[in-house]
Amino acid sequence: MFDLTAFVIALLVTAGIGTALGLVLAWGGRRFHVETDPRIQQVEDALPGINCGACGYAGCAAYAEAIVSEGAPMSLCAPGGADTAHAVARVMGAEVEAAEPKLSVTCCQGGHVDMRFDYHGVQDCRAAHVAGQAGGRKACTYGCLGFGTCARACPFGAITMSPERIPVVDWDKCTGCGRCVEVCPRGLNRVDPESYYVFVLCQSHDKGAVVNKLCDRGCIACRRCEKACPFDAIHVIDNLAVIDYTKCTACGKCVEACPKNTIVSFRKQRRARKKAREQAAQAREGAA
Amino acid sequence: METALVYFQIMFLAVFVQNFVLSKFLGLCPFVGVSKRRSSAFGMGMAVIFVMTLASLITMLIYRGIFLHPRLAQYQLDQYLKIVCFIVVIAALVQFVEMAMHKLAPPLYKSLGIYLPLITTNCAILGVTELNVIRFTGESETLGGAVAKSAVNGIFAGVGFTLALVIMAGIRERLDSAPIPEALRGVPIAFVAAACMALAFFGFAGMV
Amino acid sequence: MRVTDIFVRGIVRDNPVFVLLLGLCPSLAVTTGLVDAVGMGLAATFVLVCSNLIVSLARGVIPTQVRIPCFIVVIATFVTIVQMVMSAYFPDLKASLGIYLPLIVVNCIILGRAEAFASRNKVYRSVVDGLGMGAGFTLALCAIALVREVLGSWRLFGVPISGGADSYTLTLFVLAPGGFLAMGLLLALFNYLGAERQRRLALAEQGVEESPDEPVTDASGT
Repeated sequence: MFDLTAFVIALLVTAGIGTALGLVLAWGGRRFHVETDPRIQQVEDALPGINCGACGYAGCAAYAEAIVSEGAPMSLCAPGGADTAHAVARVMGAEVEAAEPKLSVTCCQGGHVDMRFDYHGVQDCRAAHVAGQAGGRKACTYGCLGFGTCARACPFGAITMSPERIPVVDWDKCTGCGRCVEVCPRGLNRVDPESYYVFVLCQSHDKGAVVNKLCDRGCIACRRCEKACPFDAIHVIDNLAVIDYTKCTACGKCVEACPKNTIVSFRKQRRARKKAREQAAQAREGAA
Repeated sequence: METALVYFQIMFLAVFVQNFVLSKFLGLCPFVGVSKRRSSAFGMGMAVIFVMTLASLITMLIYRGIFLHPRLAQYQLDQYLKIVCFIVVIAALVQFVEMAMHKLAPPLYKSLGIYLPLITTNCAILGVTELNVIRFTGESETLGGAVAKSAVNGIFAGVGFTLALVIMAGIRERLDSAPIPEALRGVPIAFVAAACMALAFFGFAGMV
Repeated sequence: MRVTDIFVRGIVRDNPVFVLLLGLCPSLAVTTGLVDAVGMGLAATFVLVCSNLIVSLARGVIPTQVRIPCFIVVIATFVTIVQMVMSAYFPDLKASLGIYLPLIVVNCIILGRAEAFASRNKVYRSVVDGLGMGAGFTLALCAIALVREVLGSWRLFGVPISGGADSYTLTLFVLAPGGFLAMGLLLALFNYLGAERQRRLALAEQGVEESPDEPVTDASGT
């Protein structure tokens, strides 16, 4: 009943194949050994691993390799922020200056604008932007379409849509990666350093009278901001107020002067954030 | 002429009439998992073609050369050693290919390398080796003929897999911005799309 | 975690097919009839339980670097055993399962549970986990097979439901496209029921009463 020869033959064949494969793999492991700097893996572990591309490289692995092999700057990771920069520096045995955080702002307040037509189509801003002969469904052809494409594109879930269908950015989650800037078909999002406080929340180049009729928060090019600014930092160009951030000191005079509340200052919130961050950094250094 | 026709038949069957994903339900896990973008679908497909071809070759050689060898035929090893040996060969093959690719073709490794560990438990690979054994080990098959046909079957089964995967990725990219009900979003609607694709490929039935 | 919880978890909360989305290939391939579905489910459960048992027994011995090949060989052995037993006692079932019987080896459920649970837990708990997951898998297969067999061939377990078995059929469902369709719709149903249950639980926690005439919607009301 029990055929010993068959048992032994089967055992030998299986063991033989297994051993042969094992030897081939062992040989392959030697022959195809790739020398990699172990620091590349350590740097890659220190990076967040989100592969957003904000650093300018094709993903975290590529950035890690660039840091170790080409000496790329260590503070380019926007999502990781100062913590990541310090972690990478520890691996590389170097000191690093953390880059200033960048935050996203949407330059539209979505004032009560009429719709030109009913839209039944793809629920995506890029698709809706092309509808109606590239005018979009809102009477203001520069305004936010509200389908939430930027909210979906944000890898960190920092953008949500308000009840008025305008994107709201949670600055605690925003890392300044710039995805929202890429996907908005109207170029309404912008990413600036945290130290910029004053923003013109409108992108309409329509004539002032037209904007006045269409939207209760749009820029009507009345030039009161231009006259109020003591630093010559804001000008009305092509029916829209534009701030020159090299001159702006965030004094807030244009904010007071604007009759439509188009210009807004985030000074208080952003200064509070910076203070909290500095205190946390001091606490960390004190503990280290 | 007759041989060319046989190979054409193998190719057509593998890619269209009996497409591995849409007709034989093999390789569904990567079909659902890796088909969200066209670039990753294409990369996965290329890796699968590569592994399927090599696996078909090696397993058919072992099957005909060792299990069905005249001197060992009496022990009927093919009855119970087939599964274990095939899967061990496939696992070792994938490991070997990953190592070799990393050293010899680093750019290829960067683009395809991450998919290779996923392929070991891909039922399509084991499936194609099993199918080769069923179809190409008749009485009249020479060793060379069986191995060549297995390799061709392997290549074009992989091509069919890639085709299904890339089409699915194209569809899913479009589905991203469509107003789909919450319960259907993600995998369920992908399956419905796969049903439409399978229906389309069903039209090839009976051609060969 | 209590042992009964391990078993129950594999059936609904962590159902391998509908929740974890593992083992999709057999879920579509062998669900044209309830007989095949039950057969495949029981075969897979047997392999799962046995492999969990062996892996759990050997968990201190297998080195980490070679654990996956070791698990695979163990699983392949049990699949071979199942195949041979089926050839002897259930040849019809083996013929209808076809190549999907040996493909139990690469069923992600079995390798996944060996890696995630059996290699880290005691023998008794691993066996129960195998039973639970196997039961969940079998039930999932039966659910899909029920839909496909009734709609596609108007039969239950191969027996016609009423006279004229061929006139009430939507043959699509026993073919490849119908398999995908049935699976997609069942998944959607599972998702919907899960979401409904979560919504009711969340509302109950907040103490909100919901009347049938005014369903509660989110504040964003999209």
